[in-house]
Amino acid sequence: MTSTDTVATATRPRPERRPLRTVLARPETGALVAALAVFLFFSVSTPQFLSFAGAGVWLESASTFGIMAVAVAVLMIGGEFDLSAGVMTGFSALIVGILTTHYGLSVWAAVVVSLVVCLGVGAVNGILVTKTRLPSFIVTLGTFFALAGIDLAVTKIITGQVAIQGMAKVPAYDSIQPLFGASVQIGGGTFYVSVLWWFLVAAAATWILLRTRAGNWIFAVGGALASARQVGVPVFGTKIGLFMGTAGAAWLVGMISLFRTSTVQANTGVGQEFIYIICAVVGGCLMTGGYGSAIGAALGALIYGMVFQGITFAQWDTNWLRTVLGGMLLAAVLLNNFVRTRAGGGR
Amino acid sequence: MKKRFLAGLGLAAVTGVLLAGCVGTGQDTASPDDDGADLTFAVVTHSSPGDAFWDRVKSGAETAGDDYGATVTYTADADPAKQSQLIDNAVAQQVDGIVVSMANPDGVQDSVEKAVAAGIPVVTINSGIERSAEFGALTHVGQSETVAGEAVGTRLGDAGLGNVLCVIQEAGNVGLEDRCSAAASTFDGTMTNIQVDGTNDADVKATIKSKLQADPSVDGVLTLGGQYALDAVGAVEESGSDAQIATFDLSEDVVADVEDGSVLFAVDQQPYVQGFLGVTALQLFVTNGNVIGGGQPVYSGPAFVTKENAAQVAEFAAGGTR
Amino acid sequence: MSADTTSDRADPAASTDARPVPPRPEIGTTILEVRDIGKAYGAVDALSGVSTTVAAGQVTCVLGDNGAGKSTFIKMLAGAHTPSEGELLLDGEPVTFASPRAALSAGIATVYQDLAVVPLMPVWRNFFLGSEMTTGVGPFRRLDVKAMKQITSEELARMGIDLRDVDQPIGTLSGGERQCVAIARAVYFGARVLILDEPTAALGVKQSGVVLKYIARSRDQGLGVVFITHNPHHAYPVGDRFLLLNRGTSLGTFEKSEITLPELTALMAGGAELDSLAHELERELPGSPVARELAADASETTTPPPPGSHGRP
Repeated sequence: MTSTDTVATATRPRPERRPLRTVLARPETGALVAALAVFLFFSVSTPQFLSFAGAGVWLESASTFGIMAVAVAVLMIGGEFDLSAGVMTGFSALIVGILTTHYGLSVWAAVVVSLVVCLGVGAVNGILVTKTRLPSFIVTLGTFFALAGIDLAVTKIITGQVAIQGMAKVPAYDSIQPLFGASVQIGGGTFYVSVLWWFLVAAAATWILLRTRAGNWIFAVGGALASARQVGVPVFGTKIGLFMGTAGAAWLVGMISLFRTSTVQANTGVGQEFIYIICAVVGGCLMTGGYGSAIGAALGALIYGMVFQGITFAQWDTNWLRTVLGGMLLAAVLLNNFVRTRAGGGR
Repeated sequence: MKKRFLAGLGLAAVTGVLLAGCVGTGQDTASPDDDGADLTFAVVTHSSPGDAFWDRVKSGAETAGDDYGATVTYTADADPAKQSQLIDNAVAQQVDGIVVSMANPDGVQDSVEKAVAAGIPVVTINSGIERSAEFGALTHVGQSETVAGEAVGTRLGDAGLGNVLCVIQEAGNVGLEDRCSAAASTFDGTMTNIQVDGTNDADVKATIKSKLQADPSVDGVLTLGGQYALDAVGAVEESGSDAQIATFDLSEDVVADVEDGSVLFAVDQQPYVQGFLGVTALQLFVTNGNVIGGGQPVYSGPAFVTKENAAQVAEFAAGGTR
Repeated sequence: MSADTTSDRADPAASTDARPVPPRPEIGTTILEVRDIGKAYGAVDALSGVSTTVAAGQVTCVLGDNGAGKSTFIKMLAGAHTPSEGELLLDGEPVTFASPRAALSAGIATVYQDLAVVPLMPVWRNFFLGSEMTTGVGPFRRLDVKAMKQITSEELARMGIDLRDVDQPIGTLSGGERQCVAIARAVYFGARVLILDEPTAALGVKQSGVVLKYIARSRDQGLGVVFITHNPHHAYPVGDRFLLLNRGTSLGTFEKSEITLPELTALMAGGAELDSLAHELERELPGSPVARELAADASETTTPPPPGSHGRP
């Protein structure tokens, strides 16, 4: 593209701004369209999907994926991956379970200890990634295996079992349980507080990304790390903050799961990490970093939750579950890209 | 450009609706019909995808459904939080009855109790026998791990074994742990538990093999699943050990091995029966108000498969039902 | 948007993070001076014995072929390397920069070839990257998006670019426009000395011309500009003084009044080398048109022009 000759007439001819076009070019629009399509599909093809009871189910399903998907998306925008995010949801819950049922620590204190430990692991991830300059995929893969082993071995050594039992009988359990596991009945459906947490996390992440300095830094370190460093963006601090963010979200999801079911197993969370990445990508995040949206990731998780439960509502043979999930997610990503490129002029 | 884009969106929406019309499999709206014609039962287990054992539970449940003219759906998730969601899903669909396996009873307690509170009859199968009545289930169909384990321990002692490995393939399953401890309680030798990754047969075989090589005094391997018995057979052969193998749960190959003597005996908890009787219990309750079991569990096993009766069992194992 | 050159900066009190505005020095006042500066890596002398000055409102061109030591030189000015010998004087006082950040704080801004922009981010976010303006306090501290967009528009307009939409990703701008944004950014954030590392190297003829105009504009705003290039045809029009580097040493610093373009080119091209190259070619391919052309070139650059004329502009 050559610009015009003289500086005085450097006004480039530009198409007039169409607000609709701007909206459609945003990363989350495609995900919204895909979510609506999935919602319509299951609402039409099954009788109960659209009921309050049904909505309670798929919203709850979406919320636990969604909190992690948002955190993982913010990290992905910052140019990194965290494969230990899934296993950390089990790790955080196991810490609380063991400290309370076996060492008699107050449940509130145990929850705080768990948060501190998780943030610590997140910081370690961040430090390793920035100092060793290894791909975060590799570093967090190592953390993932380390935590998975610890989860199993330590739980077994201390409790003699591989699942936490008797959590509900811990003193003060009833005082903390509502914070993470409360539910409310609306119109015959059960809506869990995890949906509210999901909403809060997505709102906070969007605020941080779009309206704070840190958000600008996150886009920069993900988009062009060298450039960010050159202009003085605190790269080290930003990356560590991002990894602590996913660790904190994993802690939250661990608490939600723990206080919803009053149990946790040694292998909880293992295998979930790729689902979070899928949700983020369906929501419009580029895997190479520097572009994406937290709302998009939340919508991606909504799509995942709706498909996951919708397949059951539709009473399809569940042997096909993962194939159908894969197919629908692929379709959602393609639809997402279609909307973005057609409307936004291409990327 | 804008027109084409909107057309594309419209096409996507229409496709979605059309597809919805095509996939109308068995939309039995739950209108309880007492002659059993339009009933829907949901089976929600803790199985991981593709597990051969649970596939037999599914067969049994689906056969019962066919026999009674009821629709049986089968869903599963090994994570208790997700299994709870599937139970909630079934409740939201207003099914006529739910069959649940409770590997981690605490984890599904909330959802099971909600189902019972919503007036949906619940039958538990396979695991969770000790909490079944507490949650309000009609009955439990399964094998008491304690009863079976103790029987196994005695048999191992009778076979003259002194040092047995107990191979646990699934972390988080309290039932498996119970089997080993029950067997150890009546076994007059030493029993040691070892943990393997049940989703990776090569790993199971390698771990058993290295344990056998490390400790030549081991003379028995007790596995807790049919597939793992096969892995143990391979491990024993390759390590040159002369340990004997016994196992819980069957498969066609395990029965063949019992026939030819490479496996000492197999304990069949008869998963097909669990699925079949689970659905039957619901069917009877919905259509005739019957509650089987009399407040006690209904035992589906243990049934021992030994060299003597292996040939007969083999026929049924070939059909995927034993 | 009117290019108001007298009241330039946004009111510093309105934002919390704009850099302080230094007072405008007289044109020609020396800001930065290097004396006999050099850098050795172990036993290897990358650069030695280089002296020159950078003055406000003037452009110092640093010329030299690849491997001449230009990048080592700018890295020392920019604070990325510490000199092994010689000294660096800022406003007459000797100074050492511990890091690029320190040099930046002292008002020395470097625009590297990769421009330090993030292609997927909008122009205004790139403009304020690392120095974002915020409003509000505590947890409600947020980006002052409106102010940043407005300032970006204004500053770019001052440099001669009228971008109606500063929200577009900077990657959609042409190479020359991106250079302009990078330069405008440095100017806005209070740079006193602007170091441009081969800004025209990857650009075509027209775009190079545009960038030269931006350089002239920033010079006119009172900055001292250090313009590194290997193309004397680009350097001569905007330069006020020329530092020639060749294989780690200085061939001299010349004010514009002391040298002509052909002389500059000759010194750079190495007239004697061109001559022998033409000779060699002639031997291998006797009478080839290429060799003859080269020979003509060589003789043109080595024979001094007749007095009173200054060759090509």
